Amino acid sequence: MILPIGPIHPGLKEPLRLKLKTQGEKVISAEIDYGYVHRGIERVMQGKTWQKAIYLSERVCGICSYIHTQTFAETFEKIAGEQAPLRAQYLRVLTNELDRIQSHLLANSTYFKALEHETLFMYMLALREPVMDAIELLTGNRVNMGWNVVGGVRMDAKESHLKSIMEIITGLEKEYPRYVEMFDQGPLLGLRSKDVGKMSHEDAIKARAVGPIGRASGIKHDWREDHPTYHDHLDFEAIWRKEGDNYARTMNRFDEIPVSIDLIKQVIQNIPQGDVRKKVDIPPGYADWRNEAPRGEVSYMIETNGNLIQNISIRTPSIMNIDACAKYMLQDVATVADAVATYASVDPCIACTERVIILDESGKRKDIEGIHNLKLS
Amino acid sequence: MVRSLKDIIRSSSIHVCLINTGGCNGCDIEVVALLSPRYDLEQYGIYVHNNPREADVILVTGAVTEQWVEKLRRIYTKAPEPKVVVVLGNCPLTGDVFNQEGGSVYAPVSDFIPVAAEVSGCPPRPSEILAAILSVAPGAIAARGREKE
Repeated sequence: MILPIGPIHPGLKEPLRLKLKTQGEKVISAEIDYGYVHRGIERVMQGKTWQKAIYLSERVCGICSYIHTQTFAETFEKIAGEQAPLRAQYLRVLTNELDRIQSHLLANSTYFKALEHETLFMYMLALREPVMDAIELLTGNRVNMGWNVVGGVRMDAKESHLKSIMEIITGLEKEYPRYVEMFDQGPLLGLRSKDVGKMSHEDAIKARAVGPIGRASGIKHDWREDHPTYHDHLDFEAIWRKEGDNYARTMNRFDEIPVSIDLIKQVIQNIPQGDVRKKVDIPPGYADWRNEAPRGEVSYMIETNGNLIQNISIRTPSIMNIDACAKYMLQDVATVADAVATYASVDPCIACTERVIILDESGKRKDIEGIHNLKLS
Repeated sequence: MVRSLKDIIRSSSIHVCLINTGGCNGCDIEVVALLSPRYDLEQYGIYVHNNPREADVILVTGAVTEQWVEKLRRIYTKAPEPKVVVVLGNCPLTGDVFNQEGGSVYAPVSDFIPVAAEVSGCPPRPSEILAAILSVAPGAIAARGREKE
């Protein structure tokens, strides 16, 4: 029997159709229909100057909105062969890590909601609010921050702001282990999470899983290791695990938050004085740039004639992760409830994924199925 | 007597269905933030469950993509009377940044379904969303309930 879930469903945050092939309560396989959130952002960006396109890049995804503008700006800086001033680079790291913390807490809260564990769901959201305050203090907005420009960041951070952020972060660090322990030691949560929705290392490589989902299956790579600011100025080590189940994915996100807290501390302690923005003259050219979004690798490929964007291609992490979920994790899951929880553990962000529509010969829209084969060809 | 009792009950039991018709997800996570202990949506008697068949309030975010044009109307008809529609953010109002040459959006939402309240902002703050729901929902739902009777 085919059990359709979505596009509007209590278990889903965003519109997407999940077709579960079931036998009794057991889920044998799953299929995913995309296409509900395609807005044509890349097409809108074409023929615009970067000033008019950067706010569009922010609205590719609302949860990890920050990293999109940073990647966009850094791609243009690569075309120009320049780097942002050091203070701006530090501020970018600071905002990026704050954004990562709130995104991971939100992702884990959604997972607990999918497990019907309201208590931890509420705790996660309660932990997240001070971090949102920190983001608002620094950038002036909670979600779409508009913080990056090509050649730096929009404005400087005051010493008092950095001090308040430090206080918020130390508060979070103090409270944090209690909640991790609740998940880690909770017997029922363990039963619902361990050995559910398993993806092996080989499958993760085949599915090109990225971010915490890939790292939970033993892919030891984090693009922050290769980023010049992290590489040259900060101490950073990627977190990874090898179980590859729901528990590992959630724990991987939990474990990345202390790393982010540590990075924020390093930034606030070592931030240099100086300009936060410089003028960048953009020559005609092409460049690509990759960054580690909260969900994994996000890459931008931009071709410009010096003034206008001629071609832009955005690749976001969720498309690979959702596909990995459908193809490898949702095979022979014991119950439908576990299938929904597995889907939530992947931290899917549909707004990110909708980059492509496929038309058939007559120009009619076709549902995107088997995107896996599409990627390989 | 029964009517006034119903008014009281309806004003403190508002079921909300959230529909993302193709936005960036920013408004949706602000609705999730509303569930957090800081804003505590449920103390106002508002319950978010995403089921259109028992919704009193339909929250619409997003700029109405091609896939949603028909589905939005269909979901609206599935919700039982009395119902109100609250739109969140700039996208359902005007299409925001996506409503430019090359974008495939069909905003505003008011072209497809009747809208009771609009909250602008990209995204609006959680407190504003809460204020908008509370400003229209209890009164409107009770009044429309009476109309029916």
